[in-house]
Amino acid sequence: MYLKKLALAGAVSLLGSTAAFACSYENEVPLKSLSAGFEAWKAVTDAMAECGNFEAELDQEFRQKQPAAFEANPSLYQIGGVSNGTITPLLNAGTIRPLDDLVAKYGQNLNPNQLIRVNGQIMAIAMMVNTQHMMYREDILSDLGIEQPTSWGDVLAAAEKIQEAGVVDYPLGATMKSGWNLAQEFVNMHPGFGGAFFNADNTAAVNSDAGMKTLETMKALLDYTDPEVLVSDSTYVQQQFQQGKIAMANLWASRAAAMNDAAESQVVGKVKMSAAPVAMDGGAPATTLWWDGMVIASNITDAEADAAFRLMMEGLDEDMVTDNNDAAIWLVAGYQPGPLAEGAIATATATPAPPPYPSTTQMGLMHTALGNELPAFLTGERDAAATLAAIEEAYTTAAQEAGVLE
Amino acid sequence: MKSKTFFWFVAPSVLMMLVFIAAPLVSVLIQSFQVTQPVMQTVETETCTPGFLTQTCTTEIKTIPIIDEVTGKPQTTTEWVGFLSYQRVLQMDKVWAAISAGQWGDILQIDFWKALRFTLTFTLLTLPLVLGVGLAIALAVNSAVQSIRGPVIFISLLPFIITPVIGSLAIYWLFVGDGILTVALENILERDIAMFAQAWTIEILMYVFRVWNNAPFAFVIFYAGLQTVNMDTLESAVIDGASRLQRLRHVIIPHLMPLIIFIAIIHLMDVYRVFEEIVGFRSQAHVISLQWLTYDFLVPDDAGNRAISRASASAMLTMIGIVILLIIPLRRTWRDHKGGAH
Amino acid sequence: MASKAMRQSVGLRALSNGFLAFWCLLASFPILWITVMSFKAPRDAFAASAWDVITGPETRAAGNGLSVLDIIVGITVLYFTIRWAFGVLPGLVRQVFPSSLIVLGWLVGAAAYAIAFIIVFFGILPPVLGVLNGLLGPLGEPIIGLTTIHYYSVWVENAFFRNFLNSLLVTAGVVTISLTVGTLAGYGLARSGSNLAFWLLIIALVFRALPHSVLVAGYLPWFINSAEILRPLLGDISPTLYGQPWAIIAVLVAINQPFTIWMLRSFFQNIPSELDEAARVDGCSHFQAFRRVIMPVMWPGVITTGLFSFLLGYNDFLVTSLLLDAQNQTMVPAIAGYFNRETTTTDQVEAVAAAVSIIAPLFLLVMVFQRQIVSGLTAGAVKG
Repeated sequence: MYLKKLALAGAVSLLGSTAAFACSYENEVPLKSLSAGFEAWKAVTDAMAECGNFEAELDQEFRQKQPAAFEANPSLYQIGGVSNGTITPLLNAGTIRPLDDLVAKYGQNLNPNQLIRVNGQIMAIAMMVNTQHMMYREDILSDLGIEQPTSWGDVLAAAEKIQEAGVVDYPLGATMKSGWNLAQEFVNMHPGFGGAFFNADNTAAVNSDAGMKTLETMKALLDYTDPEVLVSDSTYVQQQFQQGKIAMANLWASRAAAMNDAAESQVVGKVKMSAAPVAMDGGAPATTLWWDGMVIASNITDAEADAAFRLMMEGLDEDMVTDNNDAAIWLVAGYQPGPLAEGAIATATATPAPPPYPSTTQMGLMHTALGNELPAFLTGERDAAATLAAIEEAYTTAAQEAGVLE
Repeated sequence: MKSKTFFWFVAPSVLMMLVFIAAPLVSVLIQSFQVTQPVMQTVETETCTPGFLTQTCTTEIKTIPIIDEVTGKPQTTTEWVGFLSYQRVLQMDKVWAAISAGQWGDILQIDFWKALRFTLTFTLLTLPLVLGVGLAIALAVNSAVQSIRGPVIFISLLPFIITPVIGSLAIYWLFVGDGILTVALENILERDIAMFAQAWTIEILMYVFRVWNNAPFAFVIFYAGLQTVNMDTLESAVIDGASRLQRLRHVIIPHLMPLIIFIAIIHLMDVYRVFEEIVGFRSQAHVISLQWLTYDFLVPDDAGNRAISRASASAMLTMIGIVILLIIPLRRTWRDHKGGAH
Repeated sequence: MASKAMRQSVGLRALSNGFLAFWCLLASFPILWITVMSFKAPRDAFAASAWDVITGPETRAAGNGLSVLDIIVGITVLYFTIRWAFGVLPGLVRQVFPSSLIVLGWLVGAAAYAIAFIIVFFGILPPVLGVLNGLLGPLGEPIIGLTTIHYYSVWVENAFFRNFLNSLLVTAGVVTISLTVGTLAGYGLARSGSNLAFWLLIIALVFRALPHSVLVAGYLPWFINSAEILRPLLGDISPTLYGQPWAIIAVLVAINQPFTIWMLRSFFQNIPSELDEAARVDGCSHFQAFRRVIMPVMWPGVITTGLFSFLLGYNDFLVTSLLLDAQNQTMVPAIAGYFNRETTTTDQVEAVAAAVSIIAPLFLLVMVFQRQIVSGLTAGAVKG
């Protein structure tokens, strides 16, 4: 890198931080936000920063700080980025404000679909949806004469054929890194078998027929995945795909764009997306629907809230979406679903539709219990029945400590 | 030294430790005997969330905390629960059941005991390895030609100084999937290897990483110690016809003994806290450590729940463990103190 | 060990040197390897074949690479840089700075040396070699892929220098305060034979053994709400501690105190107490004796202890990642951001480049201070 180029770039970046380029107004109230750090958040916060006086903190471990930071008075951040999981503690503690009046004032361009309502009040503005979808190497499947798989049964059969043909290292990729990712796989599959997580009295209900079937299916997948699957998160699966090591995976929709990134991928144009497979005939795709969006703190002045909402609208405008069309499945007006989004949209619009990930205190506890107890089953230390019992027991202990159960 | 002068010398240091270590520790101790819960209510809630194109609204009964009208924060109750949280961590009933059924292996399925098993074996096995490797490097450097000592010391210190998070990631990349060292091993052994697929290979990697990381510290201390070995004693040992090994055993090691104890104490404390390896090597499915267990209780889930009481109990248990481990090497310090008071 | 009787047999010497060579390879390989990775295009950096990672065919195909000439010149420059760092630089520093300012001298010398190296290696060499390569024809063709694009994105586009400055601030604070407070306490403990002193040391040791995650999670609510908590005491100036570098410095100093006072106590015990007793006979108070007699001779021990404090402050992840906000984040938690979020392979290579950037100053530091580490430890000959 030549010094001249460095100096030039430095000068440009200095200019960029002072002048407000693409913003329609100049923001004069100092504002801060705390959100997760993936591509879509980068796009939105960059668009917001163009208005000036705004600092974004992008941190994937934001959930550690967010509830406490919003509870401080005044709140340490005016704007928060949440998903349907992480909005729960903020709603429970009453640290985010209803946005109805602000939507009326600035929200003309918002889609009714974007307004997250709790008991009629608008509590958050959604910007994107995320879900899992089936990604597969079209070239391999058509070479071997395999139909596009629509159920997990099909996936296993196809995996068997690919294994026999030996065209890739492992037929399947799976995001089964122990902890949150692995638990999410169970959370996807279990409702697909018609299972519920809780009884009416908040006790756990996973020790059921659906629970057994879910575990069986998960274990069946292991025959076709990388033996190191218990350390593989979505980035790892994405890399395996890019390097042509796997042929199929049920992966997050936000990962689709990476398949066609010529700088990283060796399989550009060869990966196709379809709806997440169903677990049983006539069931919904075995996945959950997620949304990501923004909230505004209650412990700030109304003037700050006003400025914060206005800035949010600037970040969620059409220009931002046009510039970052493939970064997410946007809910914002102006989004043009490309071929990469086909699978996610097919998943979300399937009948019956997959359920949204439940935003409840119990679900958080259940997710942790699943993440801690499932690995012992997959490594073969414990059988399915004992695992389900252990999950229920771990959940019960945690729920009693959290005050959800007596 | 008069106690008043002594007080002023140590006051700033003691004050900082009181505020930032002792105070949190006392609060952890108290919390381990308490459970603080929000007061819950059940209400019917309608939630509308986006689908693609249209929204879906669901009405369900939700359990949510009651918000206090005065403070605007959730109401909470705090109860003294005795040893309940300790019981929840230790799960003694299961332990006794496993023992009476003769199924000793079942004990290791309980998180705490699993973590304790790994933490102890890890601490006790790496200790001789680190001491041995450190001493070996120190002896080798000490007998090397003067001109290469500088660069060799420099290179030897590298594993110790680099940021542990980065170090463990570097090792992880070398071995994960088709990492180049895994490929190299596969070529040598002519078989397919997945280092992160089973517990024992992960554990071996952890041992290797820890020895790689800590041996330089032992090395540099031993090397410094070797510079002060009394040459007269050594030479008279040579005249007496002591072999190299005998000289090592009877002259050098006794001379280094205080250093060995110093390193052992530091090592026990550092390794007992093992945590980076678990996160860096993503080994939660196979091996966990005591500090990781505490950390796992403390990290909030999506819904913001933390198991503070169980975390406090597990932290206190961890601390009791390290105190027990340290008693043996510290007995000597106590004797020194009694014998050689100034 | 020069005596004839001590000389090793040929076999033993070969064994000993072979072991050293093996250890040096082991010690440096992971670091060398991530350094190589950081200069390659993403597909090369994570390639399965080691040869591809080294030669970088994809990187070369994209037009970034080194020719034979580049490599020869580069290695020559590197060789002399390292030789002078061990040979010429120490001499220069000793000439220019008086011995009382030698620590400062080392720091300034090292920083100036690093800057000069960066200017020559990255500023002057590339354009000169660019012209020469053009003249040489086939010899000037790139044979090894190499790109500095990741460093460019990390330092310029992602403003990593801000994290670098934050790291400097936090580390400098930790080292100075830790040593000031620790030297006093270490001296007091070394000169007091009371049982109180002994138990203080033991309690400090137990404190050192505590799992940090417990302490840190305990701080978070207090730090975030400190403005509210302190308001009755301090009124409107009460600060929010969360995100404040000086609050982090205080925490790190406290966490590091046990080790510091143990270490320094050992050093002070090795300074004969007759020294300060003589000063006391001449009518000095303990503090005066400390300042006039002990301070001039304590530097080797203090520098060594200071290096350990430096490593702690510079390398800390747990405390800084939880208690600092984005604006004040130091380098180590900042790169964790690259790994944790939904990453792409490019992000990961950038993270590798950031990691190498974090290690580089440590490199320099050890290069400069390694003599002091050994001589400091020898002088103190740490006694447990």
